[in-house]
Amino acid sequence: MTDTTATLPPGNRNTSSPGSSFVRTLYTYAALFLVASIVLIPLVTTALGGFKTLGDLRTNPFGLPAEWQWANYLEILFSERYWRMLWNSLVIGFWTTFLTLAVAAMAAFTLAHVRFFGSGYLLNYFLLGLMFPVATAILPLFIRVRDLGLLDSYWGVVLPQVAFGLGMSILLMRNFFRNVPNELFDAAFVDGCGYIRFFWAVTLPLSRPIIATVGIVAFVQSWNNYIIPLIMLTSESNYPWPLGIMSYRGEYGTAWQMILAFITLTILPTVIVFFAAQKHIIAGLTSGAVKG
Amino acid sequence: MTTALQNWASSARRKIKENARPIRREEPIGPARWPVLVLFMPPALLLFTIFVILPIGEAAWYSVFNWNGYGRPEEFVGLRNFEVLFRNNAFRQALQNTGLIMLVSIIIQVPLALWLAMLLARKIPGVVGFRLIFFLPYVLADVAAGLIWRFVYDGDFGLFAAIFGFFGMETPYVLADRNVAIYAVLAVVVWKYFGFHMMLFIAGLQAIDKHLLEAADIDGASGWQKFRYVTLPLLGPTVRLSIFFAVIGSLQLFDVVMPLTGGGPSNSTETLVTFLYSYGVMRMQVGFGSAAGVVLFVICVVLAFTYKRVLMRND
Amino acid sequence: MAPVSIKDVRKYYGALEVLHGVSIDIADGEFVVLVGPSGCGKSTLLRMIAGLEAISGGTISVDGEVVNDRAPKERDIAMVFQSYALYPHMTVAQNMGFSLKLRNAGKTEIEAAVAKAAKILGLTELLGRYPRELSGGQRQRVAMGRAIVRDPKVFLFDEPLSNLDAKLRVQMRTEVRELHQRLGSTTVYVTHDQIEAMTMADKIVVMNDGNVEQVGAPLELYDRPANAFVAGFLGSPAMNFIDGTAHRGDGAALELAGGARIALGDPGRTLPEGPVTFGIRPEDIVLDPESGTTARISVVEPTGSETHLVAHLADREIVLVARDRLTYRPGDEIRVSFASGRGHFFDPGTGARL
Ligand SMILES: Nc1ncnc2c1ncn2[C@@H]1O[C@H](COP(=O)(O)OP(=O)(O)OP(=O)(O)O)[C@@H](O)[C@H]1O
Ligand SMILES: [Mg+2]
Repeated sequence: MTDTTATLPPGNRNTSSPGSSFVRTLYTYAALFLVASIVLIPLVTTALGGFKTLGDLRTNPFGLPAEWQWANYLEILFSERYWRMLWNSLVIGFWTTFLTLAVAAMAAFTLAHVRFFGSGYLLNYFLLGLMFPVATAILPLFIRVRDLGLLDSYWGVVLPQVAFGLGMSILLMRNFFRNVPNELFDAAFVDGCGYIRFFWAVTLPLSRPIIATVGIVAFVQSWNNYIIPLIMLTSESNYPWPLGIMSYRGEYGTAWQMILAFITLTILPTVIVFFAAQKHIIAGLTSGAVKG
Repeated sequence: MTTALQNWASSARRKIKENARPIRREEPIGPARWPVLVLFMPPALLLFTIFVILPIGEAAWYSVFNWNGYGRPEEFVGLRNFEVLFRNNAFRQALQNTGLIMLVSIIIQVPLALWLAMLLARKIPGVVGFRLIFFLPYVLADVAAGLIWRFVYDGDFGLFAAIFGFFGMETPYVLADRNVAIYAVLAVVVWKYFGFHMMLFIAGLQAIDKHLLEAADIDGASGWQKFRYVTLPLLGPTVRLSIFFAVIGSLQLFDVVMPLTGGGPSNSTETLVTFLYSYGVMRMQVGFGSAAGVVLFVICVVLAFTYKRVLMRND
Repeated sequence: MAPVSIKDVRKYYGALEVLHGVSIDIADGEFVVLVGPSGCGKSTLLRMIAGLEAISGGTISVDGEVVNDRAPKERDIAMVFQSYALYPHMTVAQNMGFSLKLRNAGKTEIEAAVAKAAKILGLTELLGRYPRELSGGQRQRVAMGRAIVRDPKVFLFDEPLSNLDAKLRVQMRTEVRELHQRLGSTTVYVTHDQIEAMTMADKIVVMNDGNVEQVGAPLELYDRPANAFVAGFLGSPAMNFIDGTAHRGDGAALELAGGARIALGDPGRTLPEGPVTFGIRPEDIVLDPESGTTARISVVEPTGSETHLVAHLADREIVLVARDRLTYRPGDEIRVSFASGRGHFFDPGTGARL
């Protein structure tokens, strides 16, 4: 993020007259602050709204609360349902990430390093999955999961999530694995190392960046996923947070102060993790897109 | 997702090359291949086939039946599901809305993202902070974003109420007005996703050799000319990528719409996926819903090929 | 065509001063080479002349006019970048004509100018190609073509040959020189390759750590380096430096730390007296079986046309170059002496020539 001069060679700095560069800077900041406020105001008022009473919210949605209502937040924090749904999200996210990494890495390794008849077709077969949104097959998917007896279980959510993430993950990993130099493989082979040992001992340790990227993408997608759990889960005790938040909103109707507090608390983990690991997350989410 | 196509193309090309040149490992020397094939391929193959490929195929199969999902599909109805589908006003509205979302994403969101990326590519204090802020909505779950904006638009409590009240005007109930609701949804879509496109552009801008812009300086280009003749052409691949994501995203749009309007009022904000959900899943009309899924599938295929043909000709 | 005058130019990056007051006068039509080790500020200075880098202090004038506050396009300069910086989405012809297009020149005018430049550089066949379809040398030529189409007052080159292989580099060296002779434009050429500097320049500017160490014609610098840095930088293999104490009088000699004395022959001038850094070029150390000092050979490097010997002379490693094919082996003893009058004396503290 440091070499940002790319678009503006230093030449412009010194050659345009001081006046015009000042105007330019002013314009830049004005535009940036405007957009930033459009982004932030809804978020900040949401967080603040959770501290208000309903009446306060009605008369004064923007300002600070007339009286800070900690009770709203405390009530949610002491409720079982809040922790339960975060836990559900966490478990589903963990298994989705773990399985995606394990299954995709093995397949990607085979497609990258082992020569066998039809490997090209196989890769294309997986890439086919990239083109179609989950929604095209959501009904048959529901029926399949039902017939497998996985409805309303974590696995009914995890397995389809993993399957739909495979195309992208295999593609990213295969492209990365291919860059492991062939000499390395030859050397390992001479040392008496087979494919599987090589995978464990050489490929995986060298592939931390791509594992991080694929892992972050898988986890974030699972954490935020709505449609698959919506269709596969029926009992509220299994709901991950996007579903939980919707059912909470259904229950509380127009008790916006509670809903806002609930939203704030549910997106809080995301926001904290985002700011703590922003470099990796941005890189993961965008480079995943670009490199794919 | 991107680039599924690009990769398709390039892997096909690569394949040809690979076949042409003899590779040492194809000869019997080398470690045994069967253990790795037997252990490493099946998990991915099975998962992918069972949960992705088969359901897509089954969607086509179910779409010619009238079926409520229990027992076996037996009542064969031919193409009648499709006929009903295309006569359904809500579906036509959904198609139209999906087109509109695509259009807005491409002609408003992508340029907005590029403009902000250019501003943020300047080396001025605070740039990194702004990037983070702009990217933040993208990281939040769509559902949360939708709910937050539901509050913003709320005519009684929300920010809109306050703003209009401040000017002494009557507050519009935007999400309840069938003429306006779709634009309210569009605004949220732009709010949610522009940061992602902006990051793509920032990455694209950073990949441009800065000597090229210096060379343009020396050649006598003004700021606008540099953008027009050097930056923009070199960003070509990024622009295409960004458009690709905008299109795919529009086709899948669901999570944001549900908390905002659920497709209402009177189907005015229906998208393809919300339609599929309300008419197929909620009513358990597997045949009819699958027909909608097949239409979505066909649109994806057509767009993918058009995209490959038109936009990636010179890649 | 224009003279360029650089007066007391300074450059700061924040608090870091990377150019400490550089002054150079370049006459009309002169070919000046800026040379120095990596990081000494050559590129920075060149980019300041081009207008790509702000000038923190001092003035730069082109054709008598101070250009400090002018944009690159108002300075009438052309620049060839190390990476060539060819626009990848434009053909060779479009690349070369881009600057004219920006100035709203007519289509026929652009075509004529491009065709002319292409002919000079032998690029006529390649005009329709894209940069990615060219070899390194061809790209290099297109980059020069883009510069000459403009017919600028001053040409600037930043290490234009460093991406080429050795053979092509020698060939392009000649081409650049010929081009200069043909166009006669003032040229500033940056390189860190001292052979390029020696062979191409009318005038060499040796820079080190943001300072100009010496300015002069190539052989002048070679024969009378102003200090130990210039002496060591120019010439390959590099000059040998030996610390010791100079004694003049009959049988002028250098006394080494261990007490050994090496005769300096007839200096032809008065020598300094006392502690010195003595410098002698490898070709000025001669084999002298009768009266030379004994040295032990450690490495023999035949290059074909000459032989390089690395030897130990009273604990000091020296390099010498002989034109003949020598059959010595490591461990052999030879006797060497210094060619009369070819030694250089530098102040051991400051490095200045004595
Ligand atoms: N943007 C910058 N910020 C801080 N220091 C810089 C910057 N650009 C260059 N420098 C410093 O200025 C000094 C001179 O750099 P310059 O690029 O002019 O060297 P050079 O002589 O061209 O070297 P080379 O032969 O490697 O190209 C270096 O020490 C470098 O680290
Ligand atoms: Mg340099």
